[in-house]
Amino acid sequence: MAGLVSGIANATVNASTVLILAGLGELISERAGVLNLGVEGMMLVGALSGFIATVVTGSYWIGLSVAIAAGGLMALLHAFLCISLNSDQAVSGIMLTLLGTGLTTFFGSTYSGDSISGFPEATVPLIGEYLLEIPILGPALFQSTATDYAALLLVPIVWAFLFRTNIGLELISVGEDPETADTMGVEVFRMRYLAVVIGGCFAGAAGAHLSLAFNQIWSAGMTAGNGWIAVALVIFARWRPSRLLIGAYLFGLLNALALYTQAIDLTLAPESAFASTLNPVIEFVMNPTIMSTYPYLVTLLVLTITVIRAENRQLAQPSALVQSYSREVD
Amino acid sequence: MELNIELTPRTDIPNWLIYLTPVFTVVAALFVSGIALIALGVNPLQAYNTMFIQTVTTPFGITNTLEKGVPLIFAGLAVYLPLKAKLWNIGAEGQLVVGAIVGTAIGLQVSLPIYALLPLMIVAGGAAGAAWIAIPALLRAKYGINEIITTLLFVFVAQSLLNYVVRGPLRASGANFPQSESLPAAATLPGIPRLGDVPLGLLLAIALVVVTYGIINYTRLGYEITFIGANDSAAEYAGMSKLKVYLIVLMAGGAMAGFAGVSELSGVQGRLRASFDPGYGFTAVPIALLGRNGAFKVMLAALLFAVIFVGGSSIETVFGVPSAITSVIEALIILFLITAEFFKQYRIDVSIDGSYSTSASGSPEGDL
Repeated sequence: MAGLVSGIANATVNASTVLILAGLGELISERAGVLNLGVEGMMLVGALSGFIATVVTGSYWIGLSVAIAAGGLMALLHAFLCISLNSDQAVSGIMLTLLGTGLTTFFGSTYSGDSISGFPEATVPLIGEYLLEIPILGPALFQSTATDYAALLLVPIVWAFLFRTNIGLELISVGEDPETADTMGVEVFRMRYLAVVIGGCFAGAAGAHLSLAFNQIWSAGMTAGNGWIAVALVIFARWRPSRLLIGAYLFGLLNALALYTQAIDLTLAPESAFASTLNPVIEFVMNPTIMSTYPYLVTLLVLTITVIRAENRQLAQPSALVQSYSREVD
Repeated sequence: MELNIELTPRTDIPNWLIYLTPVFTVVAALFVSGIALIALGVNPLQAYNTMFIQTVTTPFGITNTLEKGVPLIFAGLAVYLPLKAKLWNIGAEGQLVVGAIVGTAIGLQVSLPIYALLPLMIVAGGAAGAAWIAIPALLRAKYGINEIITTLLFVFVAQSLLNYVVRGPLRASGANFPQSESLPAAATLPGIPRLGDVPLGLLLAIALVVVTYGIINYTRLGYEITFIGANDSAAEYAGMSKLKVYLIVLMAGGAMAGFAGVSELSGVQGRLRASFDPGYGFTAVPIALLGRNGAFKVMLAALLFAVIFVGGSSIETVFGVPSAITSVIEALIILFLITAEFFKQYRIDVSIDGSYSTSASGSPEGDL
């Protein structure tokens, strides 16, 4: 049982890093009022470009940097379309996902057999040994790759950036009320560009985590829908980094449980009175395929409950999300 | 020397621009994807010859295009109709999948003569598609929750459900792959007589295009839809019910996506597989965008994308190029289309040395 629990803890942490990285990026972008549905595409481009750079140079740090830059470049395209050309954010985001998926499948096929030596697992310096002593969570959290640690560290950093620095508060103001922010002297366009590009860099890093640390291979479509889960996660978190961390672990746990359902048998004993009626239900609910829908259903539920319960029907959603901003009066 | 760029919103869009936009879009997309083809050592002219000319001039290519066009027309309408009220049904993919699941389940489990079974499957598939969008539609209409995100979330639930049913309840006994039994003859949409294998679904799709065109242009409901799409608060002042119209367009859109699923299953695939659908529902977004000016343009855009789908798989066999080039072309078409939209809406005047060109900016009274 202890082995099972630590296995689940390990799988949870493993599944959550990519969600934390991609989710934080999307959160920053949406806080400035720009929805980016291209996370999946940016992640794939990050994963492939980082992988190729690592194959060519032999350095996974260069690979990570290239992935971050590539994610940022993809996001720059989205920013140009949505902010400068006032294009529809949903359409541009879907375009980005199609483009990223298409380009990486198209150019990635020659790299799909290559192997690299990516980020190694390491313990925290100095206190690492003691941290590993923590039951269950110790080995899961503190025997990880640099990208895992970076994701965890970035949660408080992003929080502090958004809520404790001037530039962060300006960024949020641009997502809430661009007109007022503009009158107050905030550079609305520049701020939105900044947020979207940072978001893309995070997505690129998330992709690099997959291809350089977690899997250490490239395969087409290796993000497996995590980009979309990251979009859902930001809503689940109601645009707050701390709740995003909790959500990432919750979604990661659901993912891990789906892997381990074979090992956990929750069905009632056949002689039990309700076995015949309840067991099919339990089997359906615990089916790994069905369990993979829970992150989306939980997000929908949180979304619905929050909106219906809130008195003024506000969602804590950035008020100007999905709205383009232009200065002229028309 | 200073470069000035003046942007002026256009008061009326010249005709040549309206007709040139789609042409420019497609040409520019093919030009850029040509660079990708060159990078893989393929002559883009030869590739496009195979992809487009061969596809639209051979009977095999035409049949295939019409076959792929059917789900794309349905799905295109599923996005187009809500778009008329300025709502985005990004989740047509999910409604399509659910329609296919329900259609297959009925086709396999209900035994009725063909003239009763097929209509039942189509109606049930449409109802399933409408039901799949009901929650997002209600959340949007009643509480204003962004439909882009909610319809999208339901796509992933639908895909998991599909994976579940082909491995569980609908799995064919003794099958090595996760797939359902073949649909019986009574549940199979026949081909159009004397048109080879072109599925009957094409006629249904065309009929639906005509109906949609009629509703949008000639009925009170259509007037309300376009009015709300143009200015929702003015429409509410005029006494129109946003709640009603939002529910109608979204659920009708869901039903059309459901039809797409049933017709693909019953007319083409014949059995449910986990990978029966190559993303028709997502392709519907650029289709609706290209054809947003009218139902018949949606149909043309759907056929264009059908050609790209068919041509993409033929260049894969002929040149050994990954068929993912179709996703790249699709993405580039969206990219250039939204760029072109901008130039359609704004007039751009570039002048040097700070002297504005005299043709710049609108009429003086427009500034008030």
